[in-house]
Amino acid sequence: MAAVTIDSLLQNPTLVFRPKAKVLLKPPRSLDCSRNRKLPLSRGSCLCSFNPRRTIHVVRASSSETALIGNFDISSSDDILYKDIFPVKRIEKVEGKFFIRLDRSKDQHDWQLTVGCSLPGKWILHWGVSYLGDSGSEWDQPPKGMRPPGSIPIKDYAIETPLKKLSEGDIFHEVKIDFNPISEIAAIHFVLKDEETGAWYQHRGMDFKVPLVDYLEDDGNIVGAKRGFGVWSGALQQFSNVLLKSEASHADSQNNSIESKDSKNKNRCLEGFYEEQSIVKEVSVGNLVSVAVRKSPETGKVIVCLETDIPGDVVVHWGVCRDDAKIWEIPAAPYPPETTVFKNKALRTLLQPKATGNRSGALFTLDEEHFGFLFVLKLDENTWLKFKENDFYVPLLGTSSVPGQYGQSDSTSEEISSKSYTDGIINEIRNLVSGLSSEKSQKTKKKEVQESILQEIEQLAAEAYSIFRSSITTVPDEVVSETETTKPAVKISSGTGTGFEILCQGFNWESHKSGRWYMELKEKASEISSLGFTVIWLPPPTESVSPEGYMPKDLYNLNSRYGTIDELKELVKSLHEVGMKVLGDVVLNHRCAHFKNQNGVWNIFGGRLNWDDRAVVADDPHFQGRGNKSSGDNFHAAPNIDHSQEFVRKDLKEWLGWLREEIGYDGWRLDFVRGFWGGYVKDYLEASGPYFAVGEYWDSLSYTYGEMDHNQDSHRQRIVDWINATNGTAGAFDVTTKGILHSALERCEYWRLSDQKGKPPGVVGWWPSRAVTFIENHDTGSTQGHWRFPGGKEMQGYAYILTHPGTPAVFYDHIFSHHRSEIASLISVRNRNGIHCRSLVKIVKAERDVYAAIIDEKVAMKIGPGYYEPPSGSQRWSLALEGRDYKVWETS
Amino acid sequence: MEVSVIRSSSQAKISKTELGCRDLRFCFGKSNDKNKIFSRKPNSVCFDSQISRFRKAGLRFTLKAVHSDPILESKSPATSKSLDRLRLFVGLPLDAVSDGNSVNHARAIGAGLKALKLLGVEGVELPVWWGVVENEMGKYDWSGYLAVAEMVQKAGLKLHVSLCFHASSQPRIPLPKWVTKIGESQSSIFFADRSGQHYQQCLSLAVDDLAVLDGKTPVQVYQGFCESFKSTFSPFMGSTITGISMGLGPDGELRYPSHHKPAKSGTITGVGEFQCYDTNMLNLLKQYAEANGNPLWGLGGPHDAPTYDQAPNSNSFFKDHGGSWESPYGDFFLSWYSSELVSHGNRLLSLVSSIFGDTEVNVYGKVPLMHSWYKTRAHPSELTAGFYNTASRNGYEAVAEMFARNSCKIILPGMDLSDEHQPHDALSSPESLLAQIRTTCNKHRVEVAGQNLASGAPGGLEQIKKNMLGENPIDLFTYQRMGAHFFSPEHFPSFTEFVRSLSQPELHPDDLPSDEAEATESVQTSSDPNIHLQTA
Repeated sequence: MAAVTIDSLLQNPTLVFRPKAKVLLKPPRSLDCSRNRKLPLSRGSCLCSFNPRRTIHVVRASSSETALIGNFDISSSDDILYKDIFPVKRIEKVEGKFFIRLDRSKDQHDWQLTVGCSLPGKWILHWGVSYLGDSGSEWDQPPKGMRPPGSIPIKDYAIETPLKKLSEGDIFHEVKIDFNPISEIAAIHFVLKDEETGAWYQHRGMDFKVPLVDYLEDDGNIVGAKRGFGVWSGALQQFSNVLLKSEASHADSQNNSIESKDSKNKNRCLEGFYEEQSIVKEVSVGNLVSVAVRKSPETGKVIVCLETDIPGDVVVHWGVCRDDAKIWEIPAAPYPPETTVFKNKALRTLLQPKATGNRSGALFTLDEEHFGFLFVLKLDENTWLKFKENDFYVPLLGTSSVPGQYGQSDSTSEEISSKSYTDGIINEIRNLVSGLSSEKSQKTKKKEVQESILQEIEQLAAEAYSIFRSSITTVPDEVVSETETTKPAVKISSGTGTGFEILCQGFNWESHKSGRWYMELKEKASEISSLGFTVIWLPPPTESVSPEGYMPKDLYNLNSRYGTIDELKELVKSLHEVGMKVLGDVVLNHRCAHFKNQNGVWNIFGGRLNWDDRAVVADDPHFQGRGNKSSGDNFHAAPNIDHSQEFVRKDLKEWLGWLREEIGYDGWRLDFVRGFWGGYVKDYLEASGPYFAVGEYWDSLSYTYGEMDHNQDSHRQRIVDWINATNGTAGAFDVTTKGILHSALERCEYWRLSDQKGKPPGVVGWWPSRAVTFIENHDTGSTQGHWRFPGGKEMQGYAYILTHPGTPAVFYDHIFSHHRSEIASLISVRNRNGIHCRSLVKIVKAERDVYAAIIDEKVAMKIGPGYYEPPSGSQRWSLALEGRDYKVWETS
Repeated sequence: MEVSVIRSSSQAKISKTELGCRDLRFCFGKSNDKNKIFSRKPNSVCFDSQISRFRKAGLRFTLKAVHSDPILESKSPATSKSLDRLRLFVGLPLDAVSDGNSVNHARAIGAGLKALKLLGVEGVELPVWWGVVENEMGKYDWSGYLAVAEMVQKAGLKLHVSLCFHASSQPRIPLPKWVTKIGESQSSIFFADRSGQHYQQCLSLAVDDLAVLDGKTPVQVYQGFCESFKSTFSPFMGSTITGISMGLGPDGELRYPSHHKPAKSGTITGVGEFQCYDTNMLNLLKQYAEANGNPLWGLGGPHDAPTYDQAPNSNSFFKDHGGSWESPYGDFFLSWYSSELVSHGNRLLSLVSSIFGDTEVNVYGKVPLMHSWYKTRAHPSELTAGFYNTASRNGYEAVAEMFARNSCKIILPGMDLSDEHQPHDALSSPESLLAQIRTTCNKHRVEVAGQNLASGAPGGLEQIKKNMLGENPIDLFTYQRMGAHFFSPEHFPSFTEFVRSLSQPELHPDDLPSDEAEATESVQTSSDPNIHLQTA
């Protein structure tokens, strides 16, 4: 195993997480803090996310903090006017090695693939196999025997196995996979994942492929060959190829990487190999910038002392200001050494290294009259460190009005102040709890603070949840226990709205034909609202290659076959006037290109979002994208957008924000969310803050011999998984319930409407608050009729979804049909009895020809030709509604 | 369109929401002669369709509307209790530090700590494992735990450390390797049941003072561990670290591993088995029997006790009437069996309280809540676990007295359990047992801290609240345990509500101003300036 040495003398104690792991450190010249878009989602861009008063100190900051403060050149501490320490975060690269080895295992019979990595981290091998005769790049799960202990199956196509250190002293984390070369396996595929950062390490944008037979097509990702080693998270920007090293015992195979085509053996002539490559990981490193202001007793001037432990050359880009507006000005000389004037606007001073420690600093002497000292730090041409995306600001005048920290030169006092701040927050939370405080003047500002704290708690919890969850092997039972379902909706969340929403799908497949749908719908606004709907879903508004709008092209062009952007705004306004919330149908999965690339493939975009082929996923050969592999399924008719690209996400977030602002949309119906990871949806929803959001996750139910299975748990699990990935920020259409209703009604098999646990068999049985139940939409019904609800039984379907928990959605065609009055009555029963998305449903009958349930003990219903009457017990039931094969009662 | 109450979320407010409904009825009731205008639900108010003009307008009102709090609060000074006295801790993951002494999920724990701090939680509980720290006898590696303690300190939270001298199976945290190795050749360091099966998750209490660990006694080894802990963590003692629990047996609890074979799911917990069959226990029994002049009683445990998962009546020892437990032999055996457990507790607690006596930390020991079969006369589950507590004898007197003697406090788990959620056939009563133990502790002035058995038990949070705020309130509670479930969308919101509701206990409906005159009055004060009707 190769020895890893320390390449640089940079001493940064904060970097070494596990002191035993020797890592290769590279000087941090290429670090980039302000344009940090290569980081995966979980990291986000991290400028100085810091507020000096409220930070709970990070562990690593502490040691150097004391040192830094202690190091101040304070002649007489009484003169200190101001003093503060700003933690800053930078991204630094740590370099290490990564190897792949294929060799015979000890018994010389089986073979063993070993993958190791020398960087500290929680490394996971995400892998699968392909079998002989497989075509395409799909993975399969390896046979059980091949999975090392500790492996976790990921869906049905991959395995995740953690890399471990064999013993404490080892440099490499590694994983070994044993396999028998006589099996049907053609190749092992893998990518490497760092659980700590969420970064994926791939091979030229594809998986690593270790072929076990010699005639595999080379897609460019076969390892063993001397190729560049790429990474798609973008966390790594450069790779240097390291010389191949072969183990002595395999010296003869040194030149024959396993894919060598000249192997004569018919089926398998496995050759061992060992390949090592360098790997770079970006870690966030905390540094400190300390500033002290004191007054020189002799000259009466103000002296600003700035110091930092950021290694390397640091330039302070600085100026002064006269008032609160913080307009930069250049003060009068003298300036510190190594100062230049920058474009007459600011000064640049190179910090001078201090004699002790790895610190550098400068002293700035200023006239008394200045109000404040402004600065940012420049590390190199592209790397600036700012304070919360703003300039650092040091008050020079009036500082005495903020006493407290002056002259306190030990770090504990700082902590105390931050602690008292958190205590203050806690008190505020408690006040919020006590809610109706007796004081009449509850200031809105305070309220905002409290809300932001609650949000912060939620975000922290979500972060913790995602990490903990990713490390447990068992899938948690998604069933929401009854005690929890009775818990009232505590607030509006984008996954549920208020919890009492009823959705109207405000168009069908033909709506584009008139060219003035927006205007037509506007006339119906008050009518739709009066039926009891609270939310309406409008058709996709963007310019589109297909008239219905689902093949968007220029996202900022909102003139479509449904009408112009102004008509759309007018429509939204009238819908708001009648008290409805409006959902925009946003297609984020794919986008039609404006131009062809050099190969004649349509994958270059135009318009305001003029992305190139880096915005297109790499794994659809039709569109030759240069992005990463898709995080979901592919939609084959248009280029699928690569949401793992930070610039794509930034643009989409901006677009959603624009739609909210410009058009007034309140929320989203998200098209084809199967196509990308739900975590991105969460990101979009958090950025655009919708009132309500629902995703279309539509895939096929399970059938055996053409007959639908009773148990559709795997189907609903996939939907629930998606909702989970969005962290519950979005609901999803309950396709499972629709499918089961189809079978139950069509074939008179009403027993299907209860699952093994006696709960509703759809998503609504598992996660009711996030299930948007429906029986028809523009795809399944209308003039497309891909999967039409059984004819004549629509009202039974509505009797089910409009009395049950979940958020029901009613299709436009059904509202404006002879079903209208029955639907209106069902909605009013629902509203009258306060049935909401978390209502409790008790299934009392699920037999061949009848299904009956009691909801919240207030509404009873039955569908099917069979007999059912609610029990005549303590409650008195009166018939509220009756139609063909359905009845609804309420308590009187 | 619904009229819904937009609440900013606290459990405590539900009662007020209901008040809000009531108020509103007076606001709008005049225009309507139908009696039923609202259907009242805890969180929703629905207008009858007759007032559809309001519905169309998308009426919403916020809770700010109701303005009768000052009265309510002044009425209930007895029940309101500030969070300052009532300290809530949350357990860190069992494997927060595991093999290799690295911190697992450090980032998640960091985020979790911040969230807890913001919520107003007092501190966290950290299990410190013998098997992680003392990999070689007498050599301690505390690095991982130090890192966690530092994180906790930075987060401004307190730390309660549980010293775990047992092993855990899920997640797997074994005893130190060198101990396991000794056990391989010398299995008598572990407890054994009647069939001779050894329980290898902790040492038998019979070897406490025998030099079985490479020439040292377990008590000496525990002592070395505690002293090393104390000196290593001295910067945190009393400031960040406010409490220490001493591991006293299986799962850290003072008991015999009588129920270590888990009941098959869906079946009722059996009575468990006596664990007095390792050679050292049998020696002690023999000596005791001979000293009492009944050498024949010292040859083994009761021959007529049922096995692990059997019901009390399946053999004659625990029978409600005429069971051997009531015979002189039964009393002889149970007295010995339970006194061995108390002496073991005494040995360990006197050790820790002398070690930590000069610090400001409180020392705790955990006593289990063996609640199944509590409604039978014999209380078999308690007997096999080592508590000689029956319908006619309070077995917790000796235990509480021992804790009092060592100035230690008791941690009682299972404060989330309520009788109504126990299987009927188990004749179990966690609530009565809890009450009995707490009364006994009060008598001996032993403070009791609470713990829950598992998060997510039905009605668990409510039950905990009842225990924390009831007539005999608990001032320290440790909620178990941080992890994926804890932060999940299914659990965390209810926990948040729970924490917040502790600061202002829910009012019993009876405490609300109930006569209509008063209510009407409050409506008048509240109707104009304070009710905010917002059209959505």
